[in-house]
Amino acid sequence: MPQPSNAPESSAETPKTPVKSTVTLSIDGREVTVEKGATVWDAAQKLGIEIPVLCHDPRYRPVGVCRMCVVDVGGRVLTASCVRPAEQGMQVTATSPGLDKHRKMLTALLMADQPQTPSQRRPQGSTLHVLANNYGVAESTGACGPLGLPRGNGRGVDRSSPVIGVDHQACILCDRCIRGCDELQNNEVMTRTGKGYSTKIAFDLNQPMGSSSCVSCGECMDACPTDALVNREIAAPIKRPAALKQVDTLCPYCGVGCSVTAHVDEERNQVAWIDGRDSRVSDRRLCVKGRYGFDYATHAHRLTVPLIRRDDAYPKGPLSGAVRLKRGRRPGGLVDYREVLPAFREATWDEALDLVASKLKEIRETYGGQALAGFGSAKCSNEEAYLFQKLVRVGFKTNNVDHCTRLCHASSVAALMETIGSGAVSTTFRDIENSDVALLTGTNTTANHPVAATFFKQAAKRGCKLIVVDPHRPRLADHAYRYIRIKPGTDVAFYNGVMHEIIARGLVDEKFVRDRTLNYDELCKVVEDYPPRVAAQIAGVTAEEIIDCANTFGSAKAALVFWGMGISQHTHGTDNARSLISLVLMTGNVGRPGTGLHPLRGQNNVQGASDAGLIPMVYPDYQGVTSDDVRNKFEAAWGTELDPKPGLTVVEIMAEALKKDIRGMYVMGENPFISDPNSNKVRKALSALDFLVVQDIFLTETAEFADVILPASSFFEKTGTYTNTDRRVQIGRPVLELPGQARHDWKITCEIGKRMGAPGFEFASVEDVFAEFTGLTRNYAGLTYEHLGLEGKLWPCPDPVGTDGTVVLFGESFPSGRGKFVPANFAPAAELPSPEYPMVLTTGRLLEHWHTGTMTRRSKALHTIEGEPHVDIHPEDMKKLGVVADDWVDVTSRRGSITLKVRASLAPGRGAVFIPFCWREAAANVLTIDELDPAGKIPEFKFCAVRVEKSQPGESSAAE
Amino acid sequence: MRDHPPRIITHLNELMHAHGWLRPDDLRALAQKLGEPLYKIEGLASFYPHYRRTPPAARTIEICRDLSCDMQGCGQLRRRADELARSHQAATGERVEVVEVSCLGRCERAPAALVDHRPTMGEVGIRTGLQAKKTHAPAAATDAGRYRCDPYQTSEEHYTTIQALAEQSHQDASASVLDNLKRAGLRGMGGAGFPTATKWGFVLKAQGERKYVICNADESEPGTFKDREILATLPHLVWEGMLIAAHVVGASHCIVYIRHEYEPERQRLAAEQQRAEQVAAKLGITLEIFVSPGGYIMGEETALLEALEDRRGEPRNKPPYPGIEGLDGKPTVINNVETLAMATVICARGADWWQAQGVNGCHGLKFMSVSGDVEVPGVYEVPMGTRVKDLIARAGGMAGGGELVAFLPGGASASFLPGAAANTPLDFDKMREAGSTLGSGGFVAVGEGRDLLALGISLTKFFRNESCGKCVPCRVGSEKSVTLLNEVHQKGSQHLPLLKDLEQTMAQTSICGLGQVVLTPVLSLFKHFPELAAQASTAKPAN
Repeated sequence: MPQPSNAPESSAETPKTPVKSTVTLSIDGREVTVEKGATVWDAAQKLGIEIPVLCHDPRYRPVGVCRMCVVDVGGRVLTASCVRPAEQGMQVTATSPGLDKHRKMLTALLMADQPQTPSQRRPQGSTLHVLANNYGVAESTGACGPLGLPRGNGRGVDRSSPVIGVDHQACILCDRCIRGCDELQNNEVMTRTGKGYSTKIAFDLNQPMGSSSCVSCGECMDACPTDALVNREIAAPIKRPAALKQVDTLCPYCGVGCSVTAHVDEERNQVAWIDGRDSRVSDRRLCVKGRYGFDYATHAHRLTVPLIRRDDAYPKGPLSGAVRLKRGRRPGGLVDYREVLPAFREATWDEALDLVASKLKEIRETYGGQALAGFGSAKCSNEEAYLFQKLVRVGFKTNNVDHCTRLCHASSVAALMETIGSGAVSTTFRDIENSDVALLTGTNTTANHPVAATFFKQAAKRGCKLIVVDPHRPRLADHAYRYIRIKPGTDVAFYNGVMHEIIARGLVDEKFVRDRTLNYDELCKVVEDYPPRVAAQIAGVTAEEIIDCANTFGSAKAALVFWGMGISQHTHGTDNARSLISLVLMTGNVGRPGTGLHPLRGQNNVQGASDAGLIPMVYPDYQGVTSDDVRNKFEAAWGTELDPKPGLTVVEIMAEALKKDIRGMYVMGENPFISDPNSNKVRKALSALDFLVVQDIFLTETAEFADVILPASSFFEKTGTYTNTDRRVQIGRPVLELPGQARHDWKITCEIGKRMGAPGFEFASVEDVFAEFTGLTRNYAGLTYEHLGLEGKLWPCPDPVGTDGTVVLFGESFPSGRGKFVPANFAPAAELPSPEYPMVLTTGRLLEHWHTGTMTRRSKALHTIEGEPHVDIHPEDMKKLGVVADDWVDVTSRRGSITLKVRASLAPGRGAVFIPFCWREAAANVLTIDELDPAGKIPEFKFCAVRVEKSQPGESSAAE
Repeated sequence: MRDHPPRIITHLNELMHAHGWLRPDDLRALAQKLGEPLYKIEGLASFYPHYRRTPPAARTIEICRDLSCDMQGCGQLRRRADELARSHQAATGERVEVVEVSCLGRCERAPAALVDHRPTMGEVGIRTGLQAKKTHAPAAATDAGRYRCDPYQTSEEHYTTIQALAEQSHQDASASVLDNLKRAGLRGMGGAGFPTATKWGFVLKAQGERKYVICNADESEPGTFKDREILATLPHLVWEGMLIAAHVVGASHCIVYIRHEYEPERQRLAAEQQRAEQVAAKLGITLEIFVSPGGYIMGEETALLEALEDRRGEPRNKPPYPGIEGLDGKPTVINNVETLAMATVICARGADWWQAQGVNGCHGLKFMSVSGDVEVPGVYEVPMGTRVKDLIARAGGMAGGGELVAFLPGGASASFLPGAAANTPLDFDKMREAGSTLGSGGFVAVGEGRDLLALGISLTKFFRNESCGKCVPCRVGSEKSVTLLNEVHQKGSQHLPLLKDLEQTMAQTSICGLGQVVLTPVLSLFKHFPELAAQASTAKPAN
């Protein structure tokens, strides 16, 4: 979609060819000039003439069904102004007693069918009732409705959804919900069913909302102008907005970084509900997590007091059944605090912090800084990440600091740094509005970046060809120009085939290759060996699929590449990303609107945490620790000597802990026991640590191994900046009060620093931390909270006062100068299926559950919608295995075994199974392999060999 | 051929044909197969009356419940059918389903019914139908005699008019056709009376790489069945009219949109299609018959387009009109069956011949559907301008020699006129001057002893039943109208002023013609028969 703001400029720039693009008309005797194509309603708005509407909202395609906006344009009958194009010379009457009489009658007709005792009320008030009050048809008693119209309806209510109540009787069939679902979110669930007076809104084949394919994004509820679709109570009663406090903040979940407004019940210290907020990122849209997954913050499991492990709880080891048990069915659901808490005693903050500081100092002094390590979190703010890495570098005297970026896009970043010199996206995800082709590969966007997916689907409807390449069929494939199912782990071969064909067809952007790149000949040499026929055989596709992909992508005017963990989480993840980068470089698809490279970042602040230096090889803003100049700069800034050696990465740290080379760890807001590969190894590693301090909001599985647990702040309780997948830096603002003695994370980190005697941890506010961080970077330089405001800024933002920042990077050159082709040869995955382990396991996430589930499983709505573990298996494979849906199966790899239920799904291909990794009681990472990509050090979550067997009844009865 | 034939509707029709109903699992499989979301299938499957969502009985009896059949006792027939169904079931074990349906377009054989989808009439017809073994063999269309308008003496002459036009330059052919139609004064015979030459002229001038011609054979308005007769007896004139239209405006594809209850007539048309296609092929034109999945509203031209585009048949907001943005957004001629047939007649015989056919200062010929209280209901080809009383005489006079009390000159959306207006000539302008409309040419005569208000309410109910539900005034207003009118009829009440206000709002704010006329016929009764208004406002003792 073209940027609307460009339209007047472009027409102003071409005055020589006067295209008549405006019309002048008269409304209620006043002249107005509008753009051609504008409606009469738009024109009236321009004049400030309010024409009442129920079905119309400028966010949606006008349909003209409520007829409230009828005006007189001199025709035989009246016309709906919301759909009537304004015409030159039109004489419109929009306000008159006659029109009012009709509008009143229409309102009365609708009011006559409203329930006399409403089952629910829209807290903002129903637009219908406002109109009814205006026309004096709101009140009526007895058998007759307003104006003496007979009452009717009786379409009933539907309370099957845990998040939205549906009162069909209050529904006026304005179709706003349908358009919101179909045209904004593109979830395509809702319709009108039936005909005439008995018509009602329906889901799928007229199922109850709760058992339909509805993904509970709440767009329909947001769109509804009546009491028909209303939020249900989650954590606090739904009240009028005036009785609540409104806070403009962000969604805490994924890298999209949606803008929200929280309606807060201050008395109860609870969020009553959350609305999407207009923004350049999310356009008011939200997904089920963002809209309904907020109540984890006030869950009774929140940690509120510092905890110290009791002396009798040593030697350390797992405490809860789910973590302890090695085989068979583990107890389901959340961690049982009664099992874990007895191992700890409450402590004062002073005692706990002193213990932490002294233990860490002791290890540093005895074994050196290399014996310490820290895991920061991509869920924490830029400021928290900055302070955390500073503490490790300045206080621990090591670069052993990393976070979950290692588990998601480390390989993508490695490839991007190597080829173009920048790890960030080259353009925003909404730039797809300018693309005619988009390649989406290894991304289950509707589950993991749901709001971004709505824009992708919308682009597809506009005509942008989505090429979806993925062994695991994502829902987005339903909207694709072409879905290509490659065999797991064959990405390099597939893209080499595509590049081979692009060269063969002469679709290479020769000028771009000549002017902007290096090493093209090397690429040609490698891909020469991958003619479509050969590549197709490796990737398990047809040569035609490769040829069409090459042709479509190669002929695009503007093509964008989006990728996710399906590309990165492999032992050859860096090669996968290199291939995508080569594809983009050879076709010149970078540096222009609608083109570029966009690795979709997972966590809400994985971009920012990386920017802030939560990476072992680089200081903030990707300044290498091995560079003397850089180190000197940071030593000067931080007032201490720094370790010139790059630190260890996440999985390496665990391996070193097992070897007792790492002895002390500080884990802030991460849960490696569930998130890291090969849990049994992680269990041993965590048990082996001399000292572990965990700072979190819940008692995580990792905290079971802790010596000290520090109660921290949730997203909703703090101020901080977060950088989304687009590089947009936005402010999160506090919504709730901290529970009990819980403290803000940045203050805890500073306290540990101070108590360890490290310099530079005296800050008066979060903004001061931000200032120190930005002062040491190029990309964040100049940004302040004042600039960021409600919308945030895209970095780099050389003029934060006057501009929004940079959408498209690399228009002239790359940070590394020229883009470098790094060709890759196909190599198989680390562990291939064998007769004993014949199937391929792919792990990933669910729409409803975030990461290790610590937050989302404590959300009432999300837990209700998706409550227990399952493995997705292709129906044909289920037949082969002799299992039916909901049977219990054991899934076993060389590293362990878990037991969970079967769900039939066409998403995994034949011979593959999919398990979300959020379930502690059936933790997928018990199975995964901890082999690493040599460059990105990322583990191969997307491929290991497993065996699936029907559980023996005796074994699976334990947890029933 | 069409660029985007409707995929879902085509498949739903196939499923209906295969199983007699739409099974949920089949619908899910269909969604998967077509890559379409379930909601789209639900929207269509629930909208069109041809589709059913529950398993059908072994035998079905459908009884028309609308005006002309109501006058001939369809209520009583319904009760008899229930009894017949019970005894049939008892005797054979076959379950029989009896349902009331909207006008079947067979008003001359009232009370009309379908047994296993085959047309019949009255109790005897139903009894015979049930006794016969269920068959999928087509029922034969009634074959009436020749009509005066047909320019061809033998079938060899068919299509010679278009062939002659095709030999001229396109410019000359277009000019001569449009000139002929204009001088003849041909107007749309579906009810709106829009000048045909003007409509074709719009589409000729409209820009579009593709254009379409559609014949609206979705005749479904109570009292109207003359298109059915034309389709059965003059199908060559219909096809030829479409070819002429297509040739004139530059369209490459023609579609006949026919209601599914006209299966015998569809077969006549399909038989003729083979001949028409030979001519069409030479002109680079393709032909198609599309069977409607049902509903009177589909006769509204933009609702019809929506169905052809695989959506719920809900009328569009206008403008744009189909002549500019019609099927798939392309310029489209949509004409009624009679209009297209008469266009052939005019092109063959010339405007002067056509003009000379009228009487009483009017021009041309008109096919009138005559039903109600006349001796011989049926379709009559009469000179335009024929007086109402003469039309009744053609139909054998009033039933039993009774008096004409009131009549409906132009189908369900016309105003009633009193018997005193029997001298009014049948003509668009003359009828308008008399306070009604020639509309669709559905003439219903009402004799003595009729409950006029009940007849009026029957029409309101028809519109309520057939409302698509898209816009508020029609969806809610038609339902409230029926409730209010029933109260007036049964109890007598003071609702008339409210009904008049409601009528104004519905007429002014509804999206399409259906909603605009819901109350027109019934309220016209109060105008012409003031005693009705007085009675209506007087409270009646409750029964």
